[in-house]
Amino acid sequence: MKEFALMMIGAALVNNVILARFLGLCSFMGVTTRIDTAVGMGLATTFVMTVSAMADWAVQRYLLEAFGLGYLRTITFILVIASTVQFTEMVIRKVSPSLFQMLGIYLPLIATNCAVLGVALLVVEGRMNFIGSTLFAFASALGFSLVMIIFAGLRERLALATVPPLFNGPPIAFIVAGLLAMAFMGFSGIGAG
Amino acid sequence: MTASAPSASHTVEGIARVVRVDAGVAWLEPEQTGGCGSCASAASCGAGSPGIGEVAGRIAARRFPLDNPDGLLAGERVVIGVDPHSLLKAALTAYAIPLATALAAGGIAEGAWGSDLATMAAMASGLGLGLLLARIAARQLARRGDLAPRFLRRAGGSRA
Repeated sequence: MKEFALMMIGAALVNNVILARFLGLCSFMGVTTRIDTAVGMGLATTFVMTVSAMADWAVQRYLLEAFGLGYLRTITFILVIASTVQFTEMVIRKVSPSLFQMLGIYLPLIATNCAVLGVALLVVEGRMNFIGSTLFAFASALGFSLVMIIFAGLRERLALATVPPLFNGPPIAFIVAGLLAMAFMGFSGIGAG
Repeated sequence: MTASAPSASHTVEGIARVVRVDAGVAWLEPEQTGGCGSCASAASCGAGSPGIGEVAGRIAARRFPLDNPDGLLAGERVVIGVDPHSLLKAALTAYAIPLATALAAGGIAEGAWGSDLATMAAMASGLGLGLLLARIAARQLARRGDLAPRFLRRAGGSRA
């Protein structure tokens, strides 16, 4: 239990997908202009990342390893992720058309989110068991969502601030992202003392 | 619905186009205005210009009805809005409930049997159960009208 908790804290905060591994930067910059959209995107990514990690683990264990097809891992995982996104879209449309109208916009964006593939590959490299892999992916996705929401909050405040014209727009957003990354570096001290 | 810049009313706003008007009901299609549409992968993810992602098909699939007391006409562009709390409730309903039940079922199975196959089966069952619960919760939200977008105002640049 303790090792799962430590692994999850490490995946969410110390080795954060966005700020330590530099994955998912397109969504990080593109969908963080409002907290509401960042929350929607974060929850959708959490769902897809966790479910696709579960599917990827099964595919790796019972197909790629069993038949010596490890060299097809990347392309297979891309297929699994795209299928998971499509499955999620179909299920939400079926479960509630109203929800699909509100949330459908986020799903296509996740298919091209490199963080989802990156976490799936990290899970395989970690050689964890099924529950460990799933919790690792879930914690990584929580870390992703946390950073998205914090950054969206900062950008909402920045929209009201007086920024020098030279830094207005993406430049100040990148500076804030850099400061946020430095703040998260503080978590790397966890366990060292 | 695509979010726009923050407004004074804190409503999440989006632009939609009226594609059909039936007796008292206007059918709208959301316009894609997301910032992601300009990235290098826009053609394949479906957020930008038409490409592999079949944007037209995706937008048509997201067509929705709206009461039409304001006499909207086909081709008009309108600004619609939803309460930001509704967006959060919708996201929690659709994603958090199935994920919570799947993880809970997986945790129980891992504690009880400690086998990967049993955990996998339990998580799949938990996911299915969660989706059923999400369906019930979504129906309640829809019945209360929490998920329905509201007409806010007409937007410029109508296309007939």
